[in-house]
Amino acid sequence: MKPLDGIRRSKEAGKPVIGCFPLYPPLELLHSMGLAPVVLWGLRGPVHDADRHIQNFACSVARRLAQVVIDDAEGLFDGIFFYNGCDTLRNLPEILQEGREELGRDALPVFRVHVPMVPAEQTDASAYLRNEMQNLIVCLESAYGLSFSEESFAESVALYGSARALCLQLEEAVARGGMAFSDFCDTLMSANFLPVEEQIELLESKIAVAGEERALEPSSRVVVSGILPPPPAICKLIDDAGLTVVGNDVAAFHRSYARAPQEWSDVNDYYVRFYRDHFPCTTLLYSSDARFKALTSMVEASGADGFVFIGEKFCEYEYFELPHLEEKLKEKGVSVLPLEISIEDESTAETYRTRIEAFAEVLAGAEATVSGTS
Amino acid sequence: MAREKTNAGTHLTQLIVGSYMDAFKKWKEGALVVWGAIVIPAEIFRGFENVVYCVPETHAALCAAKNVGPELCQRAEALGYSMDLCSYPRIDIGWVSGGRKISPTSGLPKPGLLVSDNNDCSLLTKWFDVHHRNMNIPHFMVDVPFCYGPQEEKDLEYIVEQFRDLISLVEKMTGQTFNIDRFFKASIQTALAMGEWKRFLECAKNRPSGITAFDSFAQMAPFFTSRGTPEMVEHYRILADETEERVKEGDFPVPDEKYRLLWDNIAPWHQMSRMSTRLMELGANIIAAPYTLCIGGLEGSFELFQFSLDKDPLWYMARTQNMSVCPYGLDLRTDAMSWAIEELGIDGVIFASNRSCKVFSVMQMDQQRRISEKFDIPTVMIEMDHADARKFSEESAYMRLEALLENIESRRAAA
Repeated sequence: MKPLDGIRRSKEAGKPVIGCFPLYPPLELLHSMGLAPVVLWGLRGPVHDADRHIQNFACSVARRLAQVVIDDAEGLFDGIFFYNGCDTLRNLPEILQEGREELGRDALPVFRVHVPMVPAEQTDASAYLRNEMQNLIVCLESAYGLSFSEESFAESVALYGSARALCLQLEEAVARGGMAFSDFCDTLMSANFLPVEEQIELLESKIAVAGEERALEPSSRVVVSGILPPPPAICKLIDDAGLTVVGNDVAAFHRSYARAPQEWSDVNDYYVRFYRDHFPCTTLLYSSDARFKALTSMVEASGADGFVFIGEKFCEYEYFELPHLEEKLKEKGVSVLPLEISIEDESTAETYRTRIEAFAEVLAGAEATVSGTS
Repeated sequence: MAREKTNAGTHLTQLIVGSYMDAFKKWKEGALVVWGAIVIPAEIFRGFENVVYCVPETHAALCAAKNVGPELCQRAEALGYSMDLCSYPRIDIGWVSGGRKISPTSGLPKPGLLVSDNNDCSLLTKWFDVHHRNMNIPHFMVDVPFCYGPQEEKDLEYIVEQFRDLISLVEKMTGQTFNIDRFFKASIQTALAMGEWKRFLECAKNRPSGITAFDSFAQMAPFFTSRGTPEMVEHYRILADETEERVKEGDFPVPDEKYRLLWDNIAPWHQMSRMSTRLMELGANIIAAPYTLCIGGLEGSFELFQFSLDKDPLWYMARTQNMSVCPYGLDLRTDAMSWAIEELGIDGVIFASNRSCKVFSVMQMDQQRRISEKFDIPTVMIEMDHADARKFSEESAYMRLEALLENIESRRAAA
């Protein structure tokens, strides 16, 4: 399914569609109020209108997001939500309105929250965030004539909780060889654009098919990391090279669904816990110390002997941490393959074939040496 | 012909060298050394008896201006830091990893505490995290909400709360008690210095301009190295007095000034002398830049924000946390730039699209369009990197700059 098809379905269902800037918007809250939130990443297609507004040294996520929101010829979006996810994204809201105006599109209502980027042990920002969430609710109620209730919110939390649990199950299926990594990525990116109820149906159907463990050729176990999963053609190269993805640290995947509060007192408390205890991410500035521990634990627990870094070209958040991460992983005997993907590279996946195959051979060789079968 | 060095220029060198020497001296005597981001209110550290404050960004800019930027960048790149990362941290990480040897100054003393903020950019936090991991020292992160309109009270209070936490941390680390009187006095010194700074910048209103933006780039350094000190006030008083005197005497940096330009972005540190000379030969003067006009103001305004004796200085420090262009949005940037164009009689604007500073640059395409439409003045966008000379094509930039001047000329002819 194409990304915009999922958004069209929400639109046809009569719900106001809220285009959410990545990475971790409060989806449960928006859904509970009768809105249809969709996180605007994993978009495809050429960028043209946006290039009149944003330099080409912005990442593909920002450029594609801008293209879709500016173009929006079908009027798919009824509002925009964003938080301080990254510096480029924080610069975008006014730019998108400029671009829409240029093309004769209506201005969109914009909703914003500032998520505190301070470690909890340094500054207690929970009151600040509670206030931010409360303001957001008031603004949404006013803009769409909707009302918030804790009961509806709890129901939405349960739905998103189910979807997250299913994502983890699917991830396990990939790790045990029951599903190709390329299929997994395709499924999750498709799910991203669907209403959560349909996400659950899709994920359940995939789990039903992927349930059986498949006998695999001897392969090497890797963790894949990045903001987005690799483009489909590169996912297939990873599969074809005999690499088994036993874990992922992809922002659009594991970082998004790995953790959510199990207990909370109200919606504001939920999001205080949601952001504070979130799976670490390079963009959650307070989580960087925890990130290295989380990743080394993931690698150890999954028995991975390789780590594939999918670098989002121009994402400085990711690149600042790569050298240290590489060093830590190598200390543990884990080989690292850093790949860099830009918009231009996505259609030329063959250029990555040699590197991925060579990496697989190195890992296989190391495995054989360790087991004495070389 | 190059102008002879001004008294303020000589004084600047003495002040900067003195501040670096002083930092080293106090470090050797056991002071806590803080490495902070440029907008962190250093006045807080003046509230302690024995705490020294240094700014890696300023040191990186100095390295770039003295042409050691590329060499230090390459050292960082050899460690795995991408060439797409901002050149300031690449320079700084390259300098630290090389044993702190390559520096036009004696460098910075080793820190015991890192204090970053994310108002200019979040990458400052990522950058300081690198040192936090490698040096195993605490890293305090100041989180400043972005402004799309005037700073909100809830955000101001949130920033103040963090400053209080920072004070507590320094007290805990040093065993010293924060002295509110010292802090208050330091805040007043900064406020006084800002008044003098604005008086210096006002000299750009004269025709010909009494200053170039390059003067302001060089002279902004004390704001980072000597904040909260009487020495900074004295320096900016000397600077403003001397510049006003030169204007009175008819001594101008570009006497044959035909084109008054505005520069939008961080200073091109590696091109300071060369660019000012080449432009002067064409009768062009970049007389101002939001990068330096913003100092002493607020978000969306380059006018002096007055310090109030009735307010808690922490309030003043928090209120000015969004002043430095990057932490505010397109509408506010357009307001501020419009004021500058009108007040200074700008003939054309150079938007320097800077790969090393996405937060400054991603907005320029729309701002350029807005400014061109609003003022009917020509504008141009050039590619640059503020500190990595390898990413700057001089001839390509000058081709565009010359086209800008021709555009101004042709509009005049048609008028």
